[in-house]
Amino acid sequence: MLTRSGRAVDGILERLEPVSAGDLIPLLQQIQDEYGYLPADILEQVSERTGIPTSRMYGVITFYAQFSLTPRGRHTVRCCRGTACYVRGSKAVRDAVAGALGVGEGGTREDHKFSFETVACLGTCFLAPVMMVNEQYYGLLTPEKAVSALSTYT
Amino acid sequence: MDGSQIRSPQELVALRERLANLQAGKGVRVQICSTGCRAMGAQTLSEGFRGKLTAAGLDGEVEVVETGCHGQCARAPLVRIEPHDYLYGHMEPGDIDEVIETTLRKGLPVDRLCEARGGEVLPRIGDIPFYKAQTREVFRDCGRVDPKRIEDAIVLGSYEAAAKALTDMTPEQVIDEVTGSGLRGRGGAGFPAGVKWGFCRQAPGNEKYLICNADEGDPGAFMDRALLEGVPHQVLDGMIVAAYAIGASQGFVYVRAEYPIAVEHITLAIDQAREVGLLGTDILGSGFDLDIEVRIGAGAFVCGEETALIASLEGRRGMPRPRPPFPARSGYLGKPTTINNVESLATVPSVVLRGKEWFSAIGTEGSKGTKAFALAGKVKDTGLVEVPMGSTLREIVFDVGGGIPRGRRFKAAQMGGPSGGCVPARYLDLPIDYDSVKEAGAIMGSGGLIVMDESTCMVDIARFFTEFLMDESCGKCAPCRIGIRQMFDILLRITEGEGELEDIERLEELGRAVKEASLCGLGQTAANPVLSTIRHFRDEYVAHVVEKRCAANSCKEMVGTSCIAACPAHVNVPEYLSLVKEGRPAEALETIRRRNPFPSVCGRACDHPCETFCRRADLDEAVAIRNLKRFASDEVQEVGTPPVRQGPREGRVAVVGAGPAGLTAAYFLAVMGREVTVLEREDTIGGALITGIPAFRLPRDVLARDIEYIRRAGVAIETGRNVDSIQELLDEGFDSVFVAIGAQESAELEVPGEDLAGVEDTLAFLRRTNSEELTEMQGSVVVVGGGNAAIDAARTAQRLGAGPVTVLYRRSREEMPALAEEVEDAILEGVQIRFLSAPVAIEGNGRVSRVRCVRMELGEADEQGRRRPIPVPNSQSLIDADRVIVAIGQQPNLGLAQGYEGLEVDGRLFRADPVTQRAGGSPVFVGGDVVTGPSTIIQAIGAGQRAAAAIDRFLGGEGQLPPERVLADPVIPDGSVMDIPRQPLPLLSPEQLTGAFDEIPQGYSSPVACLEAQRCLRCDLE
Repeated sequence: MLTRSGRAVDGILERLEPVSAGDLIPLLQQIQDEYGYLPADILEQVSERTGIPTSRMYGVITFYAQFSLTPRGRHTVRCCRGTACYVRGSKAVRDAVAGALGVGEGGTREDHKFSFETVACLGTCFLAPVMMVNEQYYGLLTPEKAVSALSTYT
Repeated sequence: MDGSQIRSPQELVALRERLANLQAGKGVRVQICSTGCRAMGAQTLSEGFRGKLTAAGLDGEVEVVETGCHGQCARAPLVRIEPHDYLYGHMEPGDIDEVIETTLRKGLPVDRLCEARGGEVLPRIGDIPFYKAQTREVFRDCGRVDPKRIEDAIVLGSYEAAAKALTDMTPEQVIDEVTGSGLRGRGGAGFPAGVKWGFCRQAPGNEKYLICNADEGDPGAFMDRALLEGVPHQVLDGMIVAAYAIGASQGFVYVRAEYPIAVEHITLAIDQAREVGLLGTDILGSGFDLDIEVRIGAGAFVCGEETALIASLEGRRGMPRPRPPFPARSGYLGKPTTINNVESLATVPSVVLRGKEWFSAIGTEGSKGTKAFALAGKVKDTGLVEVPMGSTLREIVFDVGGGIPRGRRFKAAQMGGPSGGCVPARYLDLPIDYDSVKEAGAIMGSGGLIVMDESTCMVDIARFFTEFLMDESCGKCAPCRIGIRQMFDILLRITEGEGELEDIERLEELGRAVKEASLCGLGQTAANPVLSTIRHFRDEYVAHVVEKRCAANSCKEMVGTSCIAACPAHVNVPEYLSLVKEGRPAEALETIRRRNPFPSVCGRACDHPCETFCRRADLDEAVAIRNLKRFASDEVQEVGTPPVRQGPREGRVAVVGAGPAGLTAAYFLAVMGREVTVLEREDTIGGALITGIPAFRLPRDVLARDIEYIRRAGVAIETGRNVDSIQELLDEGFDSVFVAIGAQESAELEVPGEDLAGVEDTLAFLRRTNSEELTEMQGSVVVVGGGNAAIDAARTAQRLGAGPVTVLYRRSREEMPALAEEVEDAILEGVQIRFLSAPVAIEGNGRVSRVRCVRMELGEADEQGRRRPIPVPNSQSLIDADRVIVAIGQQPNLGLAQGYEGLEVDGRLFRADPVTQRAGGSPVFVGGDVVTGPSTIIQAIGAGQRAAAAIDRFLGGEGQLPPERVLADPVIPDGSVMDIPRQPLPLLSPEQLTGAFDEIPQGYSSPVACLEAQRCLRCDLE
């Protein structure tokens, strides 16, 4: 579980201030990088400090796929569901990964070890099928290779 | 770099020379792609090289450089060694020592790491076909510089374009140069870049913005990614020029979050450029200011659309707005803004430095310069490719990409991502540019090019893209939000086997509405994947909804297991393979016979569509399903007893023709309890199986086994009986008739001299040899044709003692319809095949003595995507021939249609319902080659099976084929079966042959059969 400290968001706001409407997305991205997700109470603090209404924040957060209002796992597993990966059998890889993780798409495991999502394209189509775990790429996957790669994460 | 500022173009030149001299000391550079290849262990390679070079004391002479993409990603990880220009692929840390010894110390290539073609090793990048067929201008430096070091970029000339523009040209001159070059936006829309800059320049106001659109969201596109990761300074160089031209002092690079390496490299590049004054105030002493900020996307495809991107930059939901006003007038914060694609900006420096005449000399009339394509999918050399505009799909997929792997065929190329469409084989010779691809119903788009083979279902691809767009639709406008959703629901139903014929029209109507009424480019192009696949592959949609058949054996809910679906008789392949694995061949045989009464024949002569679609083929090679069928049949030997129906037989069925279609129908009808009589014109039983296929491919005792089994089911066969009319059979009291007379008439060559003695059609020739009327031959033989009939005739003539035997085929080897294995065997046996050769006359005095032929070349693709053969002028030659065998095609005798209305003729073939094989509403059914034209044995067997079920229903029965029974243990194979390679069949050596017509391939032994059977992945258990 991630601990929540108000001080971290102070630092972020100081670096960005004065915060204009256009800074909202970078601001949210930095908060999510820090806390792993977008905690509601932090967002309220930010709203107080910047004057950006939480309703606007909510609209933006729910529009973009990257943002999460609920805690995510330590490791983010992203399986590519792009065209090139698809024609090379990514579905079987995805199903195997979902099975091994025990979590559905967009979900986070109860023990918060893994979050699992699919991405429309990771841009590494020549290595299809592809999976990313955090910032690490795994290419030319078979279901077995993908599951075995996951087992190296603690 | 000491951090001091570069304050003028002269200082930039001086710095470049200084840095170049510094680099010259380290003569050898080991350039390791550390962007895409990171997924294949590139980081371990660079650490390994550094460590070992230091240990060897070579780190003073050899530089290890972590670069961007080299392009030939299929051979990742890639390492390029300069100055030798060697390109090593599939490198592993264990190879490093050898590379140091052999290449870095001695300058020689390490062969096994090099590209190899036709037995030749090609170490140099310039010799590799993948690169030879390209024109790498924009990507020239990608793979040669370390993207994290501005010094590398400066040495190769980065910022020279900015320097020239800022100090030697006015903004108007820059705009003129770029407009005159014809550079069009590389993001997909293709708007002339210079014109767009002009609009922005002319817009009133001093606060203007430049945005680099790096939100490359098309699935399958990775060109922009490679540029940002590999040559970020080249992009910045272009941005400075663009900003200067439009009068902007603030720029943004908007990058997708899914590209962390690109974000890292462009951010670092901007920092480094700022440090030395190439960004900031008074750049190079010109008085021009520009700073650039990196913004990261948050996971919305629609933000690639310019107004949605601007909304995102402004901190809002990424929803597009109507245009006009265009961003050039009112964009970011309401100010004039230019948005350019990464590749467009990366192309700008070369336009500025080399001029508009140089640039516009490349490409086509309407589309100038080169274009990068991300080649992916079912193609051998996937990777990053750059070719001149106007290159054809054929050049890109086959010359650069190396063609389709695993012996499969090109089906379509998906171009333009979700806004684009699928371009079928017919357009392989279309020169690709912004305008031409629209003719084909697609768009060139940003450059994503995904190749598909026959195992890709086009309906499924349409569903795939529609689902993507449905998820990514911003939701603002109803046509897109609701329309795409409705289209998706229909497509989903179709792929799950629940579609109806009206669905196709519904899709077309919805598609038109979405296209015409949507607010932004996402919606306006969203229908393209569906509309283009319906346009070019309508028959696939129809098969899905009418027959519930997926030709690519891909739609899982409809199809189930690929091999079973691919088999026209739907034999339960995984079940019988499992029984073979368990050492139970008799039960394996029983499983096969539930759907196919010719296991012995098919084990020898089937063209195995099951193997074409075998999923194992995606990993290494298909399971040798046909060989295992042969094993089961050979192992059991005794004919066995079919499940003979007890009790009286009801309903009389006449089957005309004792070939595979007829005998299969007869067999199943007998099993279902009908009284069946097969009427065969010849004295022999088997149709094309006995008169057409030579004994060395299908031994006579093997065929006899299957025929006897069929007889034992209660089938009566009358030979020597010719049927002149349907009516005569109905008059004899038959309740139903199945016409399966095959295609037994040969097409004529229609050249002078065809009537000379010694010229014969292949059917007549093979009939005479198979009946042993002809047992030896002398002299030279020329066979004309490229199908199995031609190859069979050639191999037979060879065995009878003729020589030399030459086959003339008017197209090339790749197009030859005969089974590849048969062609290979023919060549090994000494048959000569002259490709691209066709006869124009047969010459002789009463009897043939030679053939006059002409060379052919392949022209453009026809409707089916096959290249048309065109005679080459003045290329005639003569071949001696004592005998000529004509094998250019066979067709059925349509006599039975005369005098019987129920039998319809479609061109030169009979027409039948594809599901029931029924002819109109009559009691007559038709199937096999007589409906399809010359086809395969298993297609005929499938037709016979369908006809039997339909006839049984016609006669009041259930049409039930023998029920499935699970006999084998459902064991899911573990990973170890991946290591077993495909087992070849042992071959008899020439000394071991006792007769000219002996079979050369022998069957598997038990242990080998068991091993091969283990390779099956049991896809049926998923």
